Amino acid sequence: MKTPRFEYHAPRTVEEVLGLLAEHGDEAKVLAGGQSLVPLLAMRLARPAHLVDINDVEGLAGIAERNGVVTFGALTREREAEGSALVSQHVPVMAEALPHIGHISIRNRGTVGGSIAHADALAELPAVARITGAEMVVRSSTDERVVSAEDFFQGHFTTALGDEELLTEVRVPKGPAGAGWAFEEVARRRGDFALVGVAAMVTLDGTGKVGEARLCIIGVSDRPFRPSAAEAVLVGKEPSGEAFVAAAEEAVRDQQPASDIHGSGDYRRHLARVTVRRSLELAASRAGRAS
Amino acid sequence: MSMVDQLAPIGARSIGARVLRSEDPRILTGRGHYVDDVVLPGMLHAAFLRSYVPHGRLRSVDVEEARQLDGVVAVYTGEDMVRLTQPAVAGSAIGINMMPGLRSPSFYALATDKVRYVGDPIALVIAEDRYIAEDALELIVEDIAPLAPIVTYEDALDPSKPRVWDEFDDNVALTGEMAVGDLDGAFAKADRVVRATVFVHRHQPVPMECRGLVASWDADNEHLTIHSSTQSPHMLRLLLPPQIGVPMEKIRVLAADVGGGFGLKNGVSRDEVAVAAASIDLGRPVKWIEDRLEHLATGGQAREEMADLEAAVTSDGVLLGVRMEVKLNAGAYPGDPFPGAMFVGSIGGGFQGPTRIEGLSATNRAVFSNKATYVSYRGPWATADFMRERLLDIVARELDIDPLEVRRRNYIERGQPPLAMLTGQPFESATTKEQVEQAAKIVDWEGFRQRQAELRAEGRYVGIGMASYLEAAPGPKIPGAVDQAASILGNEVTHVSVDQDGTIVVVTRQQPHGQGHETTLAQVASDVLGVRFEDVRVVFGDTNVTPFALVGTGGSRAATMANGAVLHGSRLLREKILSLASELLEANPADLEISQGVVSVRGTPEAKLSLRDLARTVAEEPGRLPEGIDTELTVTYTFDGGSSGWSGGTHCCLLEVDVETGLVHIDRYVVVEDCGVPVNPAIVEGQVRGGVTQGIGAVLFEHSAYGEDGQFLAATFMDYLMPTTTVVPNFEIHHVETVKTDPDVNFRGVGEGGMIVAPACITNALEDALAPLGVKVREQHLPPARLLELIGTVRPR
Repeated sequence: MKTPRFEYHAPRTVEEVLGLLAEHGDEAKVLAGGQSLVPLLAMRLARPAHLVDINDVEGLAGIAERNGVVTFGALTREREAEGSALVSQHVPVMAEALPHIGHISIRNRGTVGGSIAHADALAELPAVARITGAEMVVRSSTDERVVSAEDFFQGHFTTALGDEELLTEVRVPKGPAGAGWAFEEVARRRGDFALVGVAAMVTLDGTGKVGEARLCIIGVSDRPFRPSAAEAVLVGKEPSGEAFVAAAEEAVRDQQPASDIHGSGDYRRHLARVTVRRSLELAASRAGRAS
Repeated sequence: MSMVDQLAPIGARSIGARVLRSEDPRILTGRGHYVDDVVLPGMLHAAFLRSYVPHGRLRSVDVEEARQLDGVVAVYTGEDMVRLTQPAVAGSAIGINMMPGLRSPSFYALATDKVRYVGDPIALVIAEDRYIAEDALELIVEDIAPLAPIVTYEDALDPSKPRVWDEFDDNVALTGEMAVGDLDGAFAKADRVVRATVFVHRHQPVPMECRGLVASWDADNEHLTIHSSTQSPHMLRLLLPPQIGVPMEKIRVLAADVGGGFGLKNGVSRDEVAVAAASIDLGRPVKWIEDRLEHLATGGQAREEMADLEAAVTSDGVLLGVRMEVKLNAGAYPGDPFPGAMFVGSIGGGFQGPTRIEGLSATNRAVFSNKATYVSYRGPWATADFMRERLLDIVARELDIDPLEVRRRNYIERGQPPLAMLTGQPFESATTKEQVEQAAKIVDWEGFRQRQAELRAEGRYVGIGMASYLEAAPGPKIPGAVDQAASILGNEVTHVSVDQDGTIVVVTRQQPHGQGHETTLAQVASDVLGVRFEDVRVVFGDTNVTPFALVGTGGSRAATMANGAVLHGSRLLREKILSLASELLEANPADLEISQGVVSVRGTPEAKLSLRDLARTVAEEPGRLPEGIDTELTVTYTFDGGSSGWSGGTHCCLLEVDVETGLVHIDRYVVVEDCGVPVNPAIVEGQVRGGVTQGIGAVLFEHSAYGEDGQFLAATFMDYLMPTTTVVPNFEIHHVETVKTDPDVNFRGVGEGGMIVAPACITNALEDALAPLGVKVREQHLPPARLLELIGTVRPR
């Protein structure tokens, strides 16, 4: 479990990073917190010729709020986000999801941008990005663009990021007023990759019926999955067990999760159904009635 | 009260005190010295190319390109091993290969003609560092013609499938049988026969420190020094010579801190043979540190046993006799010196435990397969306890009697017949009944049943389980019989002496790897000798100074054997000290006492002599002592274990199953145990916690899984899940009053007890929790997905 040979770069500015990425293209890999990349290197599953370590790059970390959006510098540590008042106040679903990522020592190093750019199909932050409608700021030496979460995640370990691009910022909009949020996860042990995870949001209208519902599931697909039909089913319904069971059924209807050592696809599908229902119940219980 | 508050400094007596471990300041502050900390001048690094094919003919291995890589010193293949070594015949050094019914293939350290499991070493690269060695592995090209893999026990016996070992005419590794007591009589008077087939899955010891060694050949003196992460330093000296051609007296083995073993490091592996051969060939030190991928795939795995049980029972739930057919999947390469197949006999052999059964028979068969080597794992007979304690619950459910009541009816009562097991081993000192009653009271068994009924009405699934065991560590002797334990593992030899500075040196053949012998043996010596605890030094891990032992530390023997040897040896040394001091102090030895390392005359405190002055006088002024007096301030004591007695315990587990997810929460885990007189209760409880934790792992998390195609599926900690702090409950540990059997030594082993009984206790609780859903548990591994299959929520795979 020793890494293959690579050339190590430790740039100090974003421009230097972008220069290196432009120069080395798909031969280069960005090292942020290293919590996924380093094990992949050690097992020789990843073998970049150039490792671009961005940990010393100025100005890439930090959490701020502007115009109803909470912004995360890509190098913001997960542990910092977990303790951030801005996050707990404005993005409660993220605050609830973060403690499911590994363990404290992992979150001390792991970064918000790293998790999103890595796009593990079982990771929590991509689901948070999807359900909140986050936007990713992506730069290259020649261009800067903003990519929606919907377009960003393209498969397991696959994103819209080009070889020469760096994710620099994640913009998470606050949700609708009075929305109830929840993040529920089933894992073999605390801190393990999810068997299934579900982010949910419910708003209630003036009569106490569901105004808007959002769901995002991890563990059933190769990317965070928004079951739009299930979301639609809930609108206008009483936020009751019956509606949630129906939505849960709808959410997994076409999903064929893969089997692995921890359980069959059937088991994951069942867990998704249970967890969607539970997360909806929790989110609804937290939602305030619109005035 | 915090853990630290409970630990006390030494009072007047050290035995029985919760003495802080003297190892801990070193280990907990990162100053431990493990095998990877060994750095020798000119040292090279080893890495193995391992087979990804579970079963196949090895047609060729091309290592030319690897040899050319900068920094690579040598690349060895099976052909080189044929040139440099002799093949192993597992167990031959101690004659185990001659066991009736056992087949022992011979093989080299690296694959020659075939590969036999995923991880089988094919080539060995020696390079300037491990990075380069791994780079070189990628340049080796092997050509393997795949054969059908032998994965399951049934595969092994399928005549249409190939043989793992061409030299045998089928895949049977061992056949045997045993019968004790009056089984026919038991079945004749039975009211009914209960049948069950019970499975235990493959799982494995996972020490924090993987295997590893540094072999260093001194060509001038033709002398081999091995630094090893081992439980048994002398074993390497015994097992290596026939393979590497270096005589035993030319091999020195050193072992410093060892980060766990659990039975796995009580053998000599092919990897070690290959690295030693490479060092001899190159005349340079070679280090091999097993990484976690290698460890999980090749370090050694255990269990994977099943039994068809047929029990003769009365309508009251009393077990009269059991007929069992035992099956074991031993993997490809037998362990040396303990081939895994031999453990199939331990299941019938250990089945009786504290029950009053009247007859027992077992037919045993072990098979070869394309899996990793079967090794001993903390209580290698553990499946025996699992079968018995599961069977008691199965009987209880069939007869609709509470499992607690069934245990009351089946376990022996002290002083009541039978007074001995069917094998003749006396039950004397087994306190099972007392443990059961104490445990039932602590958990309020009856009260729990009421609460369980209420919670079931709310749709919650809580359960309770109980299981008991006896642990022969080493266990009472059978009157008139040859001591079986001593015949393989030997009596305990220990040196105790006064060093020149007046401190006490204990030289033990134990090889501590987490047990805290530096603390416990010092406790015993300081008590007996009247010296300060910190003035006793425990020396281990150097075969140049420690007495020979086939097994250093294993089998939970140290408590009785090592503490006993130190106790008796210290007594003899004390007599010598007093005899010499009586001459120098001109006092009767009977009037002398030793306290804090100073000999003084009772009632005349000014007449005193420190051990330091005594040692100096003996060495420098022998003229002050009478002619002919024994001035050797050292004792070598050989201890046979004394009367010894049973360790044992009863465990209770209370848990809840989330029947929607299959996740299990352990609400309470209660242990009532008896290990005789504990030298250090904190260490005893640590052993219990660790053992039960591994039991929790076995049931809920750990599985050395292979696919139908023979691929190994659990080679990382993402797939092989260990129990972590978040899933392990706070254990409630209680002790019963023990029955002393020996005038002097009543310390009994406690290393394996937690692990051997916890799996049955937990599975019993799971079956109890899920009883309203009609779930029958017949296997040991019950991860959430499997529980939902048993409940019927999810289709079986």
